[in-house]
Amino acid sequence: MPELDRRDFLKLVGASAGAAAATGCSDPVEKLIPYVIQPEEITPGIPVVYASTCRECPAACGLHVTTREGRPIKLEGNPDHPSNRGALCARGQAGIGRTYHPDRYAGPQVGGAAASWDDAVAQVADAIRQNPAGTYVLGGDPGPTASRAIDRWLGAIGGGGRVVYEPFAPEAVRAATRALYGQPLVPQFDLSAADLIIDFGSECLESGPAPTVHSRQLADARTLEGHGGARFVYVGSRLSMTAGNADEWITAKPGTEGLVALAIARVAARAGGADASALSRLGSVSPYDAAEKAGISPEDIERLGRAVAKAKSPVALPPGPAVSGRRAVACAAAVLAFNQAVGAVGRTVQLEREPEGRARASHREVLRLVEAMNSGKVSVLIVHDADPVYSLPAASGFAEALGKVGMVVSTASMVDETAARAQVVLPDHTPLESWGDAEARDGVRSLLQPTVRPLMDSQALVDTLHAVGRALGADVPDATFKDLLEQAWAGADFRAALARGGDFGTPSAVTASPTGSGRLQVDAPMLEGDGDFVLLAFPHAFLYDGRGANLPWLQEVPDPVTKAVWQSWAEISTASAEKLGVGTGDVLRIETSAGAIEVSAIVRGGIRDDVIAVPIGQGHTHGHYASLAGDGQPGEARGASVVSVLPSVTDENGGRAWLTANAKVTATGGFQRIPILQTSDNKRKRMLGEMLPLATLTGHGDEGHGDEGHGDAHGGGHGGGHGGGHHGADLGPIYANEHAPIAEYDPADDAEDDALHRWGMAIDLDRCNGCSACVAACYIENNIPVVGEEQARRGRVMSWLRINRWPDEGEVDYGQSDGRTRRQLASREKLGEVDVRHSPQLCQQCGAAPCEPVCPALATMHNREGLNAMVYNRCLGTRYCSNNCPYKVRRFNYWDFSQHNWPGLMGLMLNPDVTVRGQGVMEKCTFCVQRIESARQKALDEERAIADGEVISACAQACPTQAITYGNLRDSGSAVSRKADDPKRGYHALHVLNTRPAITYLAKVKRGSVEG
Amino acid sequence: MTPPPPAEAVAADRVGTVPVPGDSKINRDLLSVLDAPTFKYFALLGLAIVGVLQAVFSLGYQTYHGLGVAGYSHPIFWGVYIVTFVFWVGIAHAGTLISAILYLFRAKWRNAINRGAEAMTVFAVVTAALFPLIHIGRIWKFYFMVPYPNQRGLWVNFKSPLVWDLFAINTYMTISIVFFFVGLIPDIAIARDRSTGWRKALYTVLSLGWQGTSRQWKAHNRTVLHLSGLATPLVLSVHSVVSWDFAVSIVPGWHATIFAPYFVAGAIFSGFAMVLTVMIPVRRIFGLEEYLTDYHFENMSRFILLTSCIVGYAYGIEYFIAWYSGVEAERTSFFMRAFGPYWISTWIMISCNGIFPQLLWFKKLRTHLPFLFVLSLLINIGMWFERYVIIITSLSREFEPAVWGLYIPRGWELSILVGSFCWFSMFFLIFLKVFPVVAIAEVKELAIHDKAHGGAH
Repeated sequence: MPELDRRDFLKLVGASAGAAAATGCSDPVEKLIPYVIQPEEITPGIPVVYASTCRECPAACGLHVTTREGRPIKLEGNPDHPSNRGALCARGQAGIGRTYHPDRYAGPQVGGAAASWDDAVAQVADAIRQNPAGTYVLGGDPGPTASRAIDRWLGAIGGGGRVVYEPFAPEAVRAATRALYGQPLVPQFDLSAADLIIDFGSECLESGPAPTVHSRQLADARTLEGHGGARFVYVGSRLSMTAGNADEWITAKPGTEGLVALAIARVAARAGGADASALSRLGSVSPYDAAEKAGISPEDIERLGRAVAKAKSPVALPPGPAVSGRRAVACAAAVLAFNQAVGAVGRTVQLEREPEGRARASHREVLRLVEAMNSGKVSVLIVHDADPVYSLPAASGFAEALGKVGMVVSTASMVDETAARAQVVLPDHTPLESWGDAEARDGVRSLLQPTVRPLMDSQALVDTLHAVGRALGADVPDATFKDLLEQAWAGADFRAALARGGDFGTPSAVTASPTGSGRLQVDAPMLEGDGDFVLLAFPHAFLYDGRGANLPWLQEVPDPVTKAVWQSWAEISTASAEKLGVGTGDVLRIETSAGAIEVSAIVRGGIRDDVIAVPIGQGHTHGHYASLAGDGQPGEARGASVVSVLPSVTDENGGRAWLTANAKVTATGGFQRIPILQTSDNKRKRMLGEMLPLATLTGHGDEGHGDEGHGDAHGGGHGGGHGGGHHGADLGPIYANEHAPIAEYDPADDAEDDALHRWGMAIDLDRCNGCSACVAACYIENNIPVVGEEQARRGRVMSWLRINRWPDEGEVDYGQSDGRTRRQLASREKLGEVDVRHSPQLCQQCGAAPCEPVCPALATMHNREGLNAMVYNRCLGTRYCSNNCPYKVRRFNYWDFSQHNWPGLMGLMLNPDVTVRGQGVMEKCTFCVQRIESARQKALDEERAIADGEVISACAQACPTQAITYGNLRDSGSAVSRKADDPKRGYHALHVLNTRPAITYLAKVKRGSVEG
Repeated sequence: MTPPPPAEAVAADRVGTVPVPGDSKINRDLLSVLDAPTFKYFALLGLAIVGVLQAVFSLGYQTYHGLGVAGYSHPIFWGVYIVTFVFWVGIAHAGTLISAILYLFRAKWRNAINRGAEAMTVFAVVTAALFPLIHIGRIWKFYFMVPYPNQRGLWVNFKSPLVWDLFAINTYMTISIVFFFVGLIPDIAIARDRSTGWRKALYTVLSLGWQGTSRQWKAHNRTVLHLSGLATPLVLSVHSVVSWDFAVSIVPGWHATIFAPYFVAGAIFSGFAMVLTVMIPVRRIFGLEEYLTDYHFENMSRFILLTSCIVGYAYGIEYFIAWYSGVEAERTSFFMRAFGPYWISTWIMISCNGIFPQLLWFKKLRTHLPFLFVLSLLINIGMWFERYVIIITSLSREFEPAVWGLYIPRGWELSILVGSFCWFSMFFLIFLKVFPVVAIAEVKELAIHDKAHGGAH
């Protein structure tokens, strides 16, 4: 045996140990590194909430950004903000995705290749140096401080000018106030104080100027005290989400809203309920002329006129972008004059000064810029906070003109159609990484603050401009944008403002009286081209002007009306579709004077025969989610962009006109199925979204038997389904016609005897307007994967909460043997009739849950507090629970979504309190059990009980109308107990099945049409 | 397949009798089936194995990627796999019925067909038992369904029909295999005595030292008797339990008290059809006309006719009750069955199971083997569709019209469906060449019996 000395021995030992170690770790060892120096305000596991401001639309709602361990994970409304008061719409919530988006630019780019900031800035500076006067800045409103900084910078470098571009800016309303009052003002509406609200196409609940605000106000105006609250009338050509919440729908042709408003005001004036002098400048129109032009009945105008005259506090909302045509200013002026005439100004309408720092968009200037670009005067174009290549009509020539610009610079943080055309990209931070400010109204200033260290090599827009300025040797401030912001806020306590979210003063009203003498021509719209249809391009409820298309939730939360996802569509009436021989999904060719698009039809009863409506927002060729490429690279467009076929037309004042074209519609013979998530809108009289006539609630409760909507098809029985347990004749009218006895129960019983809580919910369908903020909140709170278009088409969307939309009570129609084809079932909407019920459907947390006994592995079982707990780890995926769930709220992980559906950094925004589900398990609504547990932990620490309102589910939190009340049913004083104990309106979904749900729905109230 | 030669004059006389050949002729004839396989046999077996392998690949693909590869669409969470599961469980019923119940009733005619039917039963159960596993979302966690002592203190939910299913299927599988094997012992011994090589070794082990002594025969007969007694309730219970997978739920179209008898009758119906499908070619190819006579086929046809009537009645009564209940959801569900998106499946089911078998009222057709063969195939198809209709149309039209769905099976599922037939055929083909397909001992017993009674039945 050879000698083995000590050194060799040790070497051998070392080598073998190393080899053993090497074979032992096939995966690289990852170490969790604790904070070496614990940040003062961060405790791992405890969320830190920062106040900030939403930048998804000009409404500038206040945000609360929940962060965990330094990562924003959820956006909620700032309860202190006077606009949204804690609520946040789906668009605002989805904004969180921008920060983690796979499309983000990792850093500056020059000519498509990565570059350093110094190089990129130097390149831009070189280009500007050659012709400073040819430098233009085009973009949205970046906030007052940034706006001022941009103006100053342009001055310092001697730039050509700045153009503010905001596709849906209310330019017509602004021009109308100027025409009426001699100065630009912002009318702010307080619907909650009104008793008759007429929406002349503003779509106040979806794409209007402040949907969360108006949603809450409208719901407040319609509380049931007194005579059932305000009446709401909608004037417009399609049964939009807003229209679905109205008591009455006047089916005026698009663009004639102003005419109808004027005619109604004239009738009201004649009836002594309005001041005719306020209308003097708008000319006179008889109800018959207006009705003729609007395609409605003159009796309706007369009746509404008398109703307006009788109403104590009527208010009208001016037209939104979709119906703003060549005469948009006159149209808006007619509605504003209506308000003036009926005395709403000062009561329900407050005229306010425009916020000082707000950048005023001007379409006229955009068009001038295009001219300048075409004539070669623009050498450098810096585009920020806007995507004009997508959202300007092709006919405006912007995209071509861009080719004539020497250098296009984009500061987009992620790729879009415009950034893709830029030679230099100098990525801005996302709003969650940024400092900034915004002005929602005059006197309501709010701040943006970074809630996460920038994830990419990005730089604030203003800092970038200053860097360019310094490279040019121009006189720009040395201070960072943050310093500038602090200077701008010098008058206020910056730290306090940061903590609160801003400086929320009370907006002061301007007293302005109508002045001027010019005549405004209110008339039917002038449309380009010919064709049998008016092309109504309307803002998509979530994609807005297209900026939402790249946010996955906004693609996958179903459109509140059609329930379509991930695609564009064309709404066409049943009669017109029949004439064309098409059904839902058949591809239509829509041709205008500016071009043609092909898009699948959705056939509905709720649209005028002479209108074809296409949502704005799809048809992007860039973006991970916005286009079909799916990887952020240029790809095939998802759907069609209706903007591309709109003529480039302006209104009287040079503002942007959207209602501009007639369209020829032909069937192409093609078929492309649209993913529509609601199969049938026939409720078949099942107890799923109930509505009660107002008469049954106002003292005649027991006589509600005549309600035709409640035939014996419910098969349910006598049995109060209400918290308190009601008896016999006390039963609500909803149960009136049912004969089979059903055991009555108190949902509070369905927890263990010694449990302190039985979590429950009351959902007030009279307040729910279908906005789907809750759906988005649920997605983001609960780490619900977004599945994409193809899976959505196969019905595999994972949402735990959906909003069923029932256009009426439905009928038991055995002859409706639909579904034999690939098409959706027939639409039950009828023109001019509104009976829409929006019913959020989520796990009912049944006391006698059908899902529980059938699970072989006890993966779904009752917990002590009566919740149907779902144990993901124990689930083996037999899916029996879902078969046996009558509400169909369980979802199955067909794939390993956790691996594929949070691309790039998106996994960072997952809520660490909620398990990410793996392949092959069921999941469903947990009633936000993670929120219950964290509240419980806190209460235990503080040795007290959980207070009412301390736990609030994500859906209830987000709801702008507070339709959802969440809480403890064992506490008879809790808000949810009081709300659920409604003997007349309370009912349980599919009560006949005796599943003992913990959710009590409160029936919607049918207030009927307005009486003249 | 060409029909077997028309019954000879002698054979025509024999309808209603059983063959009475001599002992050694019986041995010769029946063991000749085990003769060295031809190329055609190997080709067929190879085809079956390829079919199984492609299904194994599909299953692997599905397990790796997830059940998304199948056609499932919210809210239709049970599809082709459960349909096929129920189908094969149903097929598995004829064997035990023939072996156990008919044994107890002393229906002697069963002797010639019972071996084939028992083998079919075993292979069908083995096939069926795979499907609940293929169906679940996390196949690697299938043992969650099994109540076994564990440190985690986890137990199964005995309220769940799926747990009942597990027990029912496993019990049935065990009993069928034991029954099958016990019946085989005397025949294996005969084969042992006439074979060489590996077969000799195999048969020696499997025959368990069978000598044919009267003591052994006595024990054997008693065992068979007792096993029959044990197996008899299983024939009724297994499919009853399977039917409760559906009946205890609240799904309109599933929630019906008629399900247990309806499913059992359907199972026997489909089981006999499958016996016909398998035995008609076997008789033709191996020339077993003397043993599997028209008499057997007529008796089976009568069973099929009876059970077809029961099944047809059940179809009718389901519709009647749906209407009579007055429950809208129930009515809608059944309306949609007949006239909704799945109407083709429903009408295939009604015609194949309820209408076509009525032709068996004609005696001529009951003994017309080509006709019976075609009819048996139609019944197999019809019974598969019966389960398809029950499972899928019911789930597609439930209480929530907003999320009514449509399920269309996809390639991966159909691949596994085809694979299940190949899997079954593979076993059956191997069985044909390894064990005698007609029970030699029992045929002999019958022959002796008949001789003693002058050849009359």
